[in-house]
Amino acid sequence: MKTLTAAVLLCAVIGGAAHAATVTNRDGDTAMLVIVEGQSRIDVALASGATETICPMGCFVTLPSGDRIGLQGDETVEIVNGSFVFK
Amino acid sequence: MRSAGIFTATLIAISLAALTLVGGGAAMAQQAAQPQQPAQAQQPATPSPATPPPTPQTQPEAKAEKGASPALQQAEDQLAQTERELKRIADRVDSAREDDTLLAELRVEVDALSKQIIATSVATRPRLEEIKTRLAELGEPPADDQPPEEAIVTEERKRLVAERGAINALAARAESLAVEATKLANRITSTRRALFSNTLLRHTDVSAEMLSEALSTTVDESKALWRSVGSWLTFAWNYKRLPLLSAIFLSLCAALLFLVGSYRLFSPVIMRREDDDEPTYFRQLSVAFWSTLIPTLALTAFAGSSYFFLSSFNVLRPDIAPIIAVTLGMGVALFFVTSLANSVLSPEQSKWRLVRVSDRGARMLLAPIFAMALVNGLDYLLGSISEALGSPVVLTVAKSFLASIIIGLILMSMALIRPTLRPNETFDAPGRPWPRVISVSLLLLGAGLIAIALSGYVGLSRFIATQIIVTGAILVMIYIGILTGRSVSKQGAFAETMAGQYLERRFQFEQVALDQIGLLAGLGIYALVLLFFIPLILLQWGFQIADIEAWVYRAVTDIKIGTITISLAGILAGVLLFAFGYLVTRWTQRWIDGNVMARSRVDAGVRNSIRTGIGYVGVGLAGLFGLSAAGIDLSSLALVAGALSLGVGFGLQNIVSNFVSGLILLVERPFKVGDWIVSGTTEGFVRRISVRATEIETFQHQSIMMPNSLLINASVGNWTHRNRLGRSEIAVTVTYASDPRRVIELLQEIAISHPMVLKNPGPSVVFTAFADERMTFELRIYVADVLTANGVRNDIRIAIYERFRDEGIGAPFPMKIEDVTPEDVTPEEAAAPEAVSPVSGQRQHERT
Repeated sequence: MKTLTAAVLLCAVIGGAAHAATVTNRDGDTAMLVIVEGQSRIDVALASGATETICPMGCFVTLPSGDRIGLQGDETVEIVNGSFVFK
Repeated sequence: MRSAGIFTATLIAISLAALTLVGGGAAMAQQAAQPQQPAQAQQPATPSPATPPPTPQTQPEAKAEKGASPALQQAEDQLAQTERELKRIADRVDSAREDDTLLAELRVEVDALSKQIIATSVATRPRLEEIKTRLAELGEPPADDQPPEEAIVTEERKRLVAERGAINALAARAESLAVEATKLANRITSTRRALFSNTLLRHTDVSAEMLSEALSTTVDESKALWRSVGSWLTFAWNYKRLPLLSAIFLSLCAALLFLVGSYRLFSPVIMRREDDDEPTYFRQLSVAFWSTLIPTLALTAFAGSSYFFLSSFNVLRPDIAPIIAVTLGMGVALFFVTSLANSVLSPEQSKWRLVRVSDRGARMLLAPIFAMALVNGLDYLLGSISEALGSPVVLTVAKSFLASIIIGLILMSMALIRPTLRPNETFDAPGRPWPRVISVSLLLLGAGLIAIALSGYVGLSRFIATQIIVTGAILVMIYIGILTGRSVSKQGAFAETMAGQYLERRFQFEQVALDQIGLLAGLGIYALVLLFFIPLILLQWGFQIADIEAWVYRAVTDIKIGTITISLAGILAGVLLFAFGYLVTRWTQRWIDGNVMARSRVDAGVRNSIRTGIGYVGVGLAGLFGLSAAGIDLSSLALVAGALSLGVGFGLQNIVSNFVSGLILLVERPFKVGDWIVSGTTEGFVRRISVRATEIETFQHQSIMMPNSLLINASVGNWTHRNRLGRSEIAVTVTYASDPRRVIELLQEIAISHPMVLKNPGPSVVFTAFADERMTFELRIYVADVLTANGVRNDIRIAIYERFRDEGIGAPFPMKIEDVTPEDVTPEEAAAPEAVSPVSGQRQHERT
């Protein structure tokens, strides 16, 4: 019984928890991303080759190339030549 | 056990089939996986999706001027619509500041809109990618010192850049809209929080003036109540007599229906039988649980239907409707609390009591519980009357204040009851005081309630009082339910319940099956209790149905761990789909086997092969469908399968080779079920060709599981492959004293006269050898069914023996010829020396 309750609670907690998009920078130099999620606007500096998990609930990302894209939160994105490539 | 074995084998078959399929064709896996993500990248459900890169060249100039592809245009429209929707919701939020239910619903709508905004932007992504690709193809514009490019290229680049800008502008708009939506959602949350804390923590100065003012308004209010109820009754009687009467009649009918129906249906479960001297603990629990739950549900249904009838016949007036609704609700709550207390305490019948308290204690406990529920219910009823009649707030506050004080006092007085019993005391003993913990906590609770009310936080004290009564009752109910579930799932407990005995009588279930059902029933009761009562408690705490729905929806459809999505609903759907596919497969198998093939007189072996083949394919397909419905991405499985294939190549080599051999056996059919085969030293009838091995039953009824690959690789002899015709030989030896022609003739005659021996090909006799002292003949006969050969040989041997004896030819078998001196031989012995001593030294190989 305890296990069952724990499982239900865990499900509820996980249900509220996040899923996220993964962004990897394949360029030679650091990419500056502007991420707008909910009410907050964050600048993320993504070093060359680094991978970052962003926006659990969906967000908008402005890329170095100037393109602005919406992410639902389950994508895997790579940055190539300052622009995005979806995997 | 046998069916379990079949099931396991089938499971292995599915997984192997799935592995093979997945490993074999990643393309197929991807195809199957594609329906998984209809909501994602495939979003551009535009009229002309995925315009190939060259098309922009052919697009009319006018469109290029606007810089809008159909996808973009549609996204624009969608965004505009979302914006309007958001504005509408914002307006409604402003007007619904006081309505928590509506706010909760609006919050859900806003969340959906946020998702939609992102989806709108996501929908433009493919177009953006196309533009990017095309721009990359066109290359950079030439520098000043380079030769100029063609005008059409410049034109196209310009157009594409413009469209890219438009899409980015759209994304920027969507972004700001999403921010707005989030702001709105946060505003709703903070409004709701403020609303909640306002209700709970609103501070009122409790003073003598306030109370006297409340007293004077009470008089006014009761007059107003009397007036409006009276006028409503007159109005209803004069103008709505028929609807009123029919509504009352229908609700009474419904009440009767619910009451009688529930008692008739569930009376064995909820009635306490007088003759039951020593009810088991499980029976006590289940009677307490169901005898509270079922009548309460019936009463709830009755209250709901009465209100429905009254309001749908337009009998209710806006000022009366809330009063009626709260009265009905209060009635249900009061009934629930009282009947629960009654079934737990059972003041009249001590043997049904769930807690160990004295008779007197049980009676005395029942009264304060009822009183508290009544006071709390009246508090809510009077509050709603005040609200409906537009009385001043001070009146509501005063009433709640009074109710809280009364409930606090009742709680404190409960501490004085002396209900507990020592283990050796009987129920009619006078009883002892509560244990210190309980009495102190009761006193503290009551005093705290009164203190909170006195300090002016009347809303809070009312909330706490309600929680003590209603949430307490629900918690007790949950506890009893869980205890019931636990005791029913104990080993052997279910067989003693009514349902268990019924099942045993009706379907002759075994003890093990009953235990399994009991386990299921226990789980079912747990699930029922949690699913039913936890939402009730949450509702009690001020959560709205919309909140709970949103949580449940998210918990069921969308659990994400890292980047893995788990959807409970999906998994359930997958399991159901697999079960359904499995059933359909079994049904198809039976139908094809029983109807199509049996009527077409198809050979039993072919039937078996086809049935097994259908089983493999069907279960494999069902497994694939189930996996994709469960949301497991088959392409990721393909990855795993690819990595595993090396390991499979080494580790599971035998299994896979046996499986494939089994398939080949089914297709090629070197033997079928029922055949008599010989492979190496194993000989017997084929009983079953399964995934890994073939079951061969020897003549001694020993089952031998022969791996399929052995049967494929080694030579297999089959006595009954094309037909059951078989040749059989009988060796016969006679002394040189006999005439070989006569012997051959006799043997032919004997063989032909046997009815089972075929005439064509007919029997033949061969003089095979001149042995020492004996001539050897062989009688070769053909029988239609090789399985009968043994019996035939038996008959023929008997016939040969008798015939040879009668004809005086001598024994048809080798026997020791003794060296005897002629003097010792008596005439009788000399006449028939061989006939008297049949030696059982025959070395004829017996086949069956």
